[in-house]
Amino acid sequence: MNSVRLQHFLTRNTYLFSLLLLAILLSVNYSLQDNLFELRVLNNSMRTLLPLILLAVGQSVVVIGGGIDLSVGTMVSMLVAVLVKLINAESSAADIALAVLAACGVGIVAGSLNGLAVSYLRLQPIVTTYATSFIFSGVALLLLPRPGGQIPTELRRFYAQTPYGVPLSFYVIGVLLLLWTLIRSTRYAQYLFATGSHSQAAYTSGVPVRVVRFSTYVWAGFFAGLAATALTFSTGSGQANIGDNMTLDSIVAVVLGGTRLSGGKGGIAGAIIGVMILRVIRNVIFFADVPTWSQTLVNALIIIAALAGPGLFGLVRRMVKK
Amino acid sequence: MTLTLLAQGIVKRYGGVIAVKDGHLEVQSGVVVTLVGANGSGKSTLSKVITGVVAPNEGQLLLNGVPVQFPTPQAAKKRGIAAVYQELSLIPDMTVAENIWLTNEPLLGGISLRRGEMRRKTQELLDLFAGTTSNNLTPDTLVNTLPPDERQIVEILKAISSQPRLVIFDEATASLDRSQVDRLFELIRQWKREGMAIVLITHRMDEIFRVADRVTVMRNGQTVGTVNAADTTDREIVQMMIEGAAAPDAGRMPQIDTTAPVRLEVRGLRCGRLQRADLTLRDGELLGLGGLQGQGQTELLLALFGALPYAGTVILGGKPVRFRHPRDAMKHGVAFVPGDRATEGLLLSRSILENFLLPSWQRYGIIHDVESARQDATTAARDLSLVYSTLDAPASSLSGGNAQKVVIGKWLLRRPKLLLLNDPTKGVDVGAKAEFYALLRQLTAQGTAVLFYSSDDDELLGLCNRVLVLQDGLVRDELSGERLTRENLVAASMGTTHEQR
Repeated sequence: MNSVRLQHFLTRNTYLFSLLLLAILLSVNYSLQDNLFELRVLNNSMRTLLPLILLAVGQSVVVIGGGIDLSVGTMVSMLVAVLVKLINAESSAADIALAVLAACGVGIVAGSLNGLAVSYLRLQPIVTTYATSFIFSGVALLLLPRPGGQIPTELRRFYAQTPYGVPLSFYVIGVLLLLWTLIRSTRYAQYLFATGSHSQAAYTSGVPVRVVRFSTYVWAGFFAGLAATALTFSTGSGQANIGDNMTLDSIVAVVLGGTRLSGGKGGIAGAIIGVMILRVIRNVIFFADVPTWSQTLVNALIIIAALAGPGLFGLVRRMVKK
Repeated sequence: MTLTLLAQGIVKRYGGVIAVKDGHLEVQSGVVVTLVGANGSGKSTLSKVITGVVAPNEGQLLLNGVPVQFPTPQAAKKRGIAAVYQELSLIPDMTVAENIWLTNEPLLGGISLRRGEMRRKTQELLDLFAGTTSNNLTPDTLVNTLPPDERQIVEILKAISSQPRLVIFDEATASLDRSQVDRLFELIRQWKREGMAIVLITHRMDEIFRVADRVTVMRNGQTVGTVNAADTTDREIVQMMIEGAAAPDAGRMPQIDTTAPVRLEVRGLRCGRLQRADLTLRDGELLGLGGLQGQGQTELLLALFGALPYAGTVILGGKPVRFRHPRDAMKHGVAFVPGDRATEGLLLSRSILENFLLPSWQRYGIIHDVESARQDATTAARDLSLVYSTLDAPASSLSGGNAQKVVIGKWLLRRPKLLLLNDPTKGVDVGAKAEFYALLRQLTAQGTAVLFYSSDDDELLGLCNRVLVLQDGLVRDELSGERLTRENLVAASMGTTHEQR
């Protein structure tokens, strides 16, 4: 009975291995960079991480549902362009709120486009979202041919806040985890995991598989809107390719966090941890004085080792059993 | 509330293939109907029409006399119709409780799952099978850690959990052990008394007489009749299953020389679903394997080819062997022709030449002597009277019958001593079949021993001198000479044998 519960716990909380990995990497990082946990440094890193965290959360919903979204990066570029167009240095709080709503709304429309193609036209998610990513990238260039834009200085200060000595990003993460816990206890979550795990069996059981698949891409679009908002608030300006490189990072973070790429297993906590792991690896390489020209290679090797970790773990366990 | 469901004139076509051409089924509250029929008689398809998984081309469903349509499984479920499917509908990464209540979860305020409630109600359901399952089966167990019998039980409980008025069990007993089947039948009798309507699809004759009130028999996609279980005999049911079937084509293999050396001897072979097989096969003999699909025939062939691990003794050409990989079997002159040529037998996008020579390249040196390979392939293609454009055309350009010839032809180049055939003529047209039979004749004349599984009874009756009938992983009967009749073949595949005549 106890072993059943334990097994259950480990399966539900797929991020435990990643959490361990993050702890190890953080201690290595701390030994090389002793001001790591100083509020100013911590706040700075978290502020630059938040956009990717938000994006990876959206991506993990898609991946859990059995899909993948290669368009989230350029979607962020497009939504940043929307925000920069709508906000200027004199914008009022209401204007800004409207702009953020607009960005999330456009994100939802863009996500629906992906969702329609994948779920109702039954196109391959990899090819489809790769194709739509160029649509978003094209729109971004039309909206913002030259880098630019300005936001009120109060807004940047607001985004840099540390209420009660804790960076704002941690509050956002807290809200995300709370919402996820709530969603996890609804029927929608059961449908989401069932669809990702075995869509045929889910269909036979009466799960509205198409609607569920569609919804995951809408979530991804919505979170791309939030990510674009965080990115604009932290940089204060935009350019038409600012988010393009975030797509692959969002997928790697999702997988690093223990979410299964073929769907049906995982959660957003893993994605958040995954983003942090990616950042800490970069920190370690920087502070360990790895020669500049080797940094990309070392970074890649560590990521591959981290990705292979759970697999190696299982392999060793099977060999020990024999 | 009582219920009467009547399906009449059901027709279902898949492309040009007719799965059901005239299906009838009637079932009422408080009645157990068993639906029986040989391979491909349409019983699964008919039941899927009733549960909304398959949309019929013609015919109608009447629920309490009112015409209804079930475009989706949910629609049927809403009207109280549930099914226990053969190919399971469970989500591997979810727990037993989550699976049973999927789409039917108890909710708090219409939003939040009541997990405690789910767990408690699941335990109540699991208690129905208490004593016949392991301690590992709890509401919190993940389904992918369960053995097949317990998965089947979860599947049954899932169907029951919505308190349906009609349940269809599609071969639900196939993977259950004896005590679990006994318990299921006790439960079925109880549910029947409570007013449930039950349809049981089964391949076991004894089960019909244990629980059924009525027996509906299907043959070639048609319902041929319904009888009361109390007024019938297993002999009568078998007669209904085979009645009026065409006499098999002449052209059996010549009687084989009983003094020919024994090529293959199998003793107590166990492998997956196959519980025990014993057989002897002589050089030049064509031995048939019959029975309903999925009774262990494929496992037997794959084990002999070294593709599945097995227990037991295999003696090939007088020497005990144990193949761990198809490569070992091939070295000993064993060849295997798979049933699904598209996925297992051919590299569709590669050339005909490559497909022919795939198992044989090593004969042409480390740096391939492509010219002599091409000559051999051309000869083989001529021997097979293969219709093709050039040897360099992709295998996908061949018609079904010709593609199957390549699958067999690639082994002929190796001159096998033992040929294993896994339902090789499925979906092959009549002309190609005739050529294929001629090929078999030629091979056996050269002394190749052939073990031939076919899901087509006519083919076994027409070709073989001896047929082993498998049921539930056991060799139920060995038919030869006068006893090799359609009646005996069908009876044995349902688990009864007519020794008395």
